Amino acid sequence: MDARARRTAAKRREYLWCYLLLLPLLLAFGGFTLWPIVASWWYSFFDWDGVGNPTEWVGLANFAEVLTSPDFWRAFWHSFLFSLVAILIELPLALAFAILLNNGRLRGRNVYRLALFVPVVTTTAVVGIVFVALLDPVRGAVNEALLAIGLVDAPINFLGSTTTALPSVMAIDLWKGFGISLIYWLAALQTVPKDLIEAAQLDGARKGAIVRHVMVPVMAPIAIVIMLLLFQRSLGTFDLVQAMTAGGPVYSTDVVPTFIYRFAFSPEMQAPRYGFACAAGVVFGLLTLALTLLQAPALRYRKRVAA
Amino acid sequence: MTYLRPAQISRRGLLTGGLGAAAGLGLAACGSSDSPSGGGSSSGSPVELTIALIPDPPGASEFYRAQFDAFEAANPGITIKVVENPSDQQLSAIELMFQQGNAPDIYRAQAAGFDRMYSRGWARSLEEFVTDDFLSRFPEGSLDPLSSGLHREGELYSIPLVWGKWSAMDLFVYNRSLLSASGFDAAPTTWGEIEEVARAVTTDGGGRVFGMAPEQASGIVRLSRQGVPYSIPGDGINLITGEPDTSNSTMVEAVELMRRMNADGSLITGWESWDGSRSYTEFAAGSFAMYTAQSWHLAEIRKLNPEIDLGIVGAPVPDSGRGSYTPITQHFDPLWSMSAETAHPEESWLVLDFLASEEFYRAYYEQFGTLTAMQTVWEADVQEDPDLSAMFDVAETTMKVVPNPKLASVGGAAILNARAERPELRFTDSALESMVKNEDFAPKAAALDEQLRTFLGEIYASGDASVEDIRFADWDPLQPYDAAS
Repeated sequence: MDARARRTAAKRREYLWCYLLLLPLLLAFGGFTLWPIVASWWYSFFDWDGVGNPTEWVGLANFAEVLTSPDFWRAFWHSFLFSLVAILIELPLALAFAILLNNGRLRGRNVYRLALFVPVVTTTAVVGIVFVALLDPVRGAVNEALLAIGLVDAPINFLGSTTTALPSVMAIDLWKGFGISLIYWLAALQTVPKDLIEAAQLDGARKGAIVRHVMVPVMAPIAIVIMLLLFQRSLGTFDLVQAMTAGGPVYSTDVVPTFIYRFAFSPEMQAPRYGFACAAGVVFGLLTLALTLLQAPALRYRKRVAA
Repeated sequence: MTYLRPAQISRRGLLTGGLGAAAGLGLAACGSSDSPSGGGSSSGSPVELTIALIPDPPGASEFYRAQFDAFEAANPGITIKVVENPSDQQLSAIELMFQQGNAPDIYRAQAAGFDRMYSRGWARSLEEFVTDDFLSRFPEGSLDPLSSGLHREGELYSIPLVWGKWSAMDLFVYNRSLLSASGFDAAPTTWGEIEEVARAVTTDGGGRVFGMAPEQASGIVRLSRQGVPYSIPGDGINLITGEPDTSNSTMVEAVELMRRMNADGSLITGWESWDGSRSYTEFAAGSFAMYTAQSWHLAEIRKLNPEIDLGIVGAPVPDSGRGSYTPITQHFDPLWSMSAETAHPEESWLVLDFLASEEFYRAYYEQFGTLTAMQTVWEADVQEDPDLSAMFDVAETTMKVVPNPKLASVGGAAILNARAERPELRFTDSALESMVKNEDFAPKAAALDEQLRTFLGEIYASGDASVEDIRFADWDPLQPYDAAS
């Protein structure tokens, strides 16, 4: 065997180890991510209640029903609103807090960081149940406090009114996810070279100008990634809504994941409609992809800056 | 079933073989029992049975474990593994167990849930096990296959837990002290009086006490059944005409009553987001004065507030007078079933027989105050307990046998089972929308009727059923229905 062949064999052995080490992850990804996705595409062409093998082929009928269902589009609009709130409110608010907490002279900043991050690691169902109790119009702590200080004359029906339920759940969702956005921003802030800031300070730039003209441009590529992550996370909000309102009252907080859950698992259904639920999942996935692609200019900008 | 079935059989076969080998090695020491109430494993080798149940009411987990411990002691060689699921996940959980080849031997499935299991072939007929002793535990005629509610196609498939009228009765409970404080010395008897009392209690309550809680749409169902045939709030169909009738004026008025009370603040704030337990906990706490309660709520109310001045009457009737009665569609509600895939039918029957025994029914009644399926265990107490006595009176005076298309014909069952697969055709979502958004119900009801007509037309066109399967033209809702005539 010549030297070249030996090198190739050694390289193959090296690669083999890489593939072997990757194998568990690939198997898990294939079994628990890829297969369910592909299977749900297949099932969406059947009128299937989830029991046995799907046999009743209905073609695109489930998709047609999803696309013409006002309930689906209402749920999609609510999911989209969750994402808008995350991007338009949570993202800039988290940046402001991150800048504040990134200040080395701020006393107890780690305590504040911890306090803001604790909701992230708290079980969502527990958060939901606790807030349902806190917001209750009958003896709920929030309403009791509002009444005690005279801010309201009558309890606010936070989760029982079609006008306040969705904003209430969105506010809790924002609070719950705020810590993770904060951590993203704090990481992004570490990427801003200190000498750049010092140079700007020497040039007489004020704090606002430093943020606008130095920090934001440097962090922009990372900000785009944060925005995409936040957008995806918020669009898929499920557990908090299910725990707090289950989509009610009268579907005023229904989001696409609770819509899908209802058709697949609701005990009110004599026979669950897994095929239809899968079709709703596929349509939701495609719409999410389309919305993500709408952000392509931002992604191109990020690529250009990175280059 | 599916391709998963062979795997299940093979696993069970392996288990049985392993246990058999263990018995052969002398590890299975327990033989048949001499206990009169016990039998033990029929094969002589240890058997583990899985039972999937819902741990309700509160305290049921401990209760069932204690009961099964007693069963195991009386039946050496049989152990019971309990799988608990929340009520809203029970059916899906059982279905998953079946799909994974890990079906429970016995499971709890009620009402439409049982039909779902039966239609999938997952319930085993119990006919081969039924004895005269078993039949003698229930009132004469109550296990007639045509009306028991536990039979399908003439064979017994399920065991009841509660008295037939228990889960069907329409109770109206009220807090006498709160009504009295607002100047009322008796419960409302008409819908107009409900509105009047609720408004007065709310006004006097100063934002802390309200007139009524609606129990989501259940309150409308219970009230409307006193005015229109039960099938209208149930399925949107008037069984006298066989036609959709959600827009029936009395039905519309029942929804409008609740809508008005919600709009004027007589319904307790926040009911829209309540779970199932809030109505009786808030009633026990004195937060509101009256509601249409489920029968098992009474014991829970008493547990939470033993001193509450509780009044129990039948649901008030429309101002124009009673138009119908609370329906008795069957003698019992199915509850416990044996899996069609159990490898241990004899042992599973021993458990079902225990769940239908005087010993178990008495224990359940004493623990939870529920009137169980065996009347002899509680009927002597009824006159001594004012709550039970009032409840019993309501059941006896406000319930009548009604036609049940599901039991009357295959076509009737086909229509109602298909309707159950279309929950959006029920009036509840539209009614709640009217209440919450303060919108007219009549147009929504008319739209629902149109959808129901289309739905029925499709079924009739398929040839699976006809309007005759859901039309009982001679039925007078104010008289008990006689299926034989």
